Amino acid sequence: MALVPITILLPLLVGALLYALPRSDRALSRVIGTAVAVATFAMLIAERDAQWSVRWLSRPFTAAFHFGTTPVALWIALLLALCTACAIATTRVARTRDFVALLLMLEGTMLGLFLARDLLVFALFWDLMLLPVFFGLLNWGEHPTTAWRYFIYNFAGGLTLLLATAAFGVIYGSTDVIGRGGAPLIGTWAPWIFAGFAFAFLVKTPVWPLHTWMPPTYSGLPAPMVSVVSAVQSKAGLYGFLAIVVPLLPNYLREYALPLMVLGAVSLIYGAVVALVQNDAKRVVAYSSLSHLGLIVIAIASMNPLALKGALVYIVAHGLFSAALFMILGYVEEREETRSLLRLGGLGSKNPRLAGALCIAALAALGLPGLAGFVGELVILIGVYQAGYTWPVVVALIAIVLAAAYLIRLYQDIMNGPEVEDVPIRADLSWLEGLAVAPLLLALVVLGVDPAPLLRL
Amino acid sequence: MTIPFTHHDWAAVLPVSIVAVTALVVLIADFFAGRDGQRYVSIVIGLLGTVAAGYFAARQFGHNYDAFFGGFMVGGFATVFQEIILIAAAGSLILYAKVGAPQRVAGMTAIMLWSACGAMLMAGAANLMMIFLGLELLSLGLYALCATVDRKTARESALKYLILSSTATGFLVFGFGLLFGATGSIRLSDLVNPGVTVTPYYWIGAGMFLIGIVFKLSLVPFHTWTPDVFEGAPLPVTAFMSVATKAGTLAVFARFIYAAVPPQAADDLLLPVWIVAGISMIAGNVGMLAQENLKRLLGYSGVAQIGYILTALAGGTPMGLRYALYYLVAYAFMNLGAFAVAAAISGDDEEGALVENYRGLGRRRPWLAAAMTVFLLALAGLPPTAGFLGKILILSSSVSSGYIWLGALLIVGTAISLYAYAKVIRVMYARDEGEALEFRPFVPLAWASAAICAFFVIAMTFYPLTPSNVLPLVR
Repeated sequence: MALVPITILLPLLVGALLYALPRSDRALSRVIGTAVAVATFAMLIAERDAQWSVRWLSRPFTAAFHFGTTPVALWIALLLALCTACAIATTRVARTRDFVALLLMLEGTMLGLFLARDLLVFALFWDLMLLPVFFGLLNWGEHPTTAWRYFIYNFAGGLTLLLATAAFGVIYGSTDVIGRGGAPLIGTWAPWIFAGFAFAFLVKTPVWPLHTWMPPTYSGLPAPMVSVVSAVQSKAGLYGFLAIVVPLLPNYLREYALPLMVLGAVSLIYGAVVALVQNDAKRVVAYSSLSHLGLIVIAIASMNPLALKGALVYIVAHGLFSAALFMILGYVEEREETRSLLRLGGLGSKNPRLAGALCIAALAALGLPGLAGFVGELVILIGVYQAGYTWPVVVALIAIVLAAAYLIRLYQDIMNGPEVEDVPIRADLSWLEGLAVAPLLLALVVLGVDPAPLLRL
Repeated sequence: MTIPFTHHDWAAVLPVSIVAVTALVVLIADFFAGRDGQRYVSIVIGLLGTVAAGYFAARQFGHNYDAFFGGFMVGGFATVFQEIILIAAAGSLILYAKVGAPQRVAGMTAIMLWSACGAMLMAGAANLMMIFLGLELLSLGLYALCATVDRKTARESALKYLILSSTATGFLVFGFGLLFGATGSIRLSDLVNPGVTVTPYYWIGAGMFLIGIVFKLSLVPFHTWTPDVFEGAPLPVTAFMSVATKAGTLAVFARFIYAAVPPQAADDLLLPVWIVAGISMIAGNVGMLAQENLKRLLGYSGVAQIGYILTALAGGTPMGLRYALYYLVAYAFMNLGAFAVAAAISGDDEEGALVENYRGLGRRRPWLAAAMTVFLLALAGLPPTAGFLGKILILSSSVSSGYIWLGALLIVGTAISLYAYAKVIRVMYARDEGEALEFRPFVPLAWASAAICAFFVIAMTFYPLTPSNVLPLVR
């Protein structure tokens, strides 16, 4: 069925068409945007096993516009559609129409990335998905330098991905390989191809020391966009590992497991420690992302089947809670016009719904049993331990303790304590805002109680 | 005295003749055109001529034969290059709709068409004489064209181009002489078997020939004239030079490396060229970073882009030639499109040449800005443009031919170039609009040219048209 390419094209086209609305439009573009994101969600569920393919190149290697879902891709795509819908529903930034259009294009390009079954198409959408964020940072960000840093870092990664893809295509003969389970690639060039992929994926994730673009990007972007970027775009690299490196270059992943684990472990601790001392609420969550994603890198490097399952669970869980955290912090910032933990305080007593939402999201992030984050962490740790790596597990446990510290600090500094004089107390979450966060929190609870659909894959 | 040429020989140069005659028609028609219509009469006749020439050139595709005693080869290879040159000519002279004094447009159009004739001869040239003839016809016209505006920089540009280009031609001709001396033939196909051994004369001759070529392609270290000449020359001339001269010279270079280099000498002889191409990719892109003038920026950009194309040719594989051609076509559309946008927002004094004048274009001329974005993304090699696919193809060629270090340099160069291209995009969409430039009225021809180029730049990504039977026709 042709529903798969429509799923990708719909947000792109509607995003472009939104520019036909009057420049000052706010409500209509939000409604259309949310509807489109929900529609893509429904289409993804309806077309679980569909595939669609059109020949693109026959030389120097075969490539095709081949789209379809793999189980992993489907989950991330669903997460993407959900996050986009929730983010658009409560977008209130200046020039709403343009912003919603960018968010839709971001969704479309990332759907293309995750649904691509061809490596070359994957690389194409990899570069393409950088553009909406780049324009978002240029037009709504706090400083243009951030946009450049984001773009140059990620584009450099995109270029090594391109070179690796070209080399892969020439040697393998085809790039139509994602989800095919063909023979792994070996030979003289294979380590270099692995290096190209790994560099691109590690920049995107990001992993220390390639992470320096990430904190300013996350704190500079408006809340709706950063919630999508941190929830889903940061998973592009991890998805790349799961979908490309693990099946096609497993030998080299095994060979370089140790350096990858070290990078993951350093990110894990470094992110947690830095998150502990940040006073910008968004930066706390940004560094916590660095820390959490380091755990997933460790899981992937261990190559243990259980750890890989845990990685998927944690990818979804992290997407849900980081999207929720960023959205809620966005609401806080809109109300109080600051996100400095030094200035905020005591919002909880007058804003119980806001406090409750932040509480659930933060608890999920620190890995409270019963929420999805816990399942992911636990399964990863068991898997990594099974694979025979003890020290990463110990390091991860330390980081989990630190996570509790910085997330509780985040919550306390915003919600608890005496009310701060010069920070006005504004209205609590509106029903629309509540409705926008609720699906994310609900999904955290549901997947935390019953993670079987994710683990069964 | 009888003329020893048959009708086959004349048919071979039919497209070239059509272009040459069109130039004459343009000049004559100009006498009868009224003052208001002068500009458009020349442009329309010029366009019709290029279309007709393009049609007859396309009919030659696949019908290969030698004309003029092996001096000119008709068929796939020449056809593809001739079409590119015709596209360049059409895309450049269309810009006279916006730029240049009306009473001079006819003359400039005619000279540009004659220059195009020279480039088209180079596309089919199979002996040294024909290469020289084509090259000089191309260059002579350009010297004059550079000086066709009343501007100090234009005169400087023309003089600089004249002197430096003549120097290069000197190298080239000396090289020709030595090659003839070493092999006793001026036919490229005879150069492949240079007697018993490859003599020192051959080496020196071929070396000087390559120096001339590298100069004309404006590769490092002979690239410094390019930005100056580009900046001074009128906008349409810059557009023409950036595509047609490079296409013509590349045709000669490609034919030389595929048909004239003895296999035993190929690696040693051509390695310096590949090294130069590699350095150009870095130096050209670095040079772009500080440019405030779009013409200079695209001048440096051209240095790097030719480096990309040579990367595809490195190793001399049949596939490489196809990808080089694909990228050259894409490059032609990107460059012509960018110049069309520059012309569309320019008047006679070419405001469109300054990057700063694009400020606020995204709001006031959203379609033009969108087209410009497409061209710049394509030059940077971002999807969904032909630049992206072209880079993939070039990279895969460099992997399979073993010149992966060139591929790696291409990656580095591209990463650097991104900043320069994105800087223009940023100016167009920046929030602070600064002092608004007064945008010129709508001129359908320039807009149409930009739209057509944008269409091809995107469409070529999804339908990568690389003519398959090109290589057999080189030799």
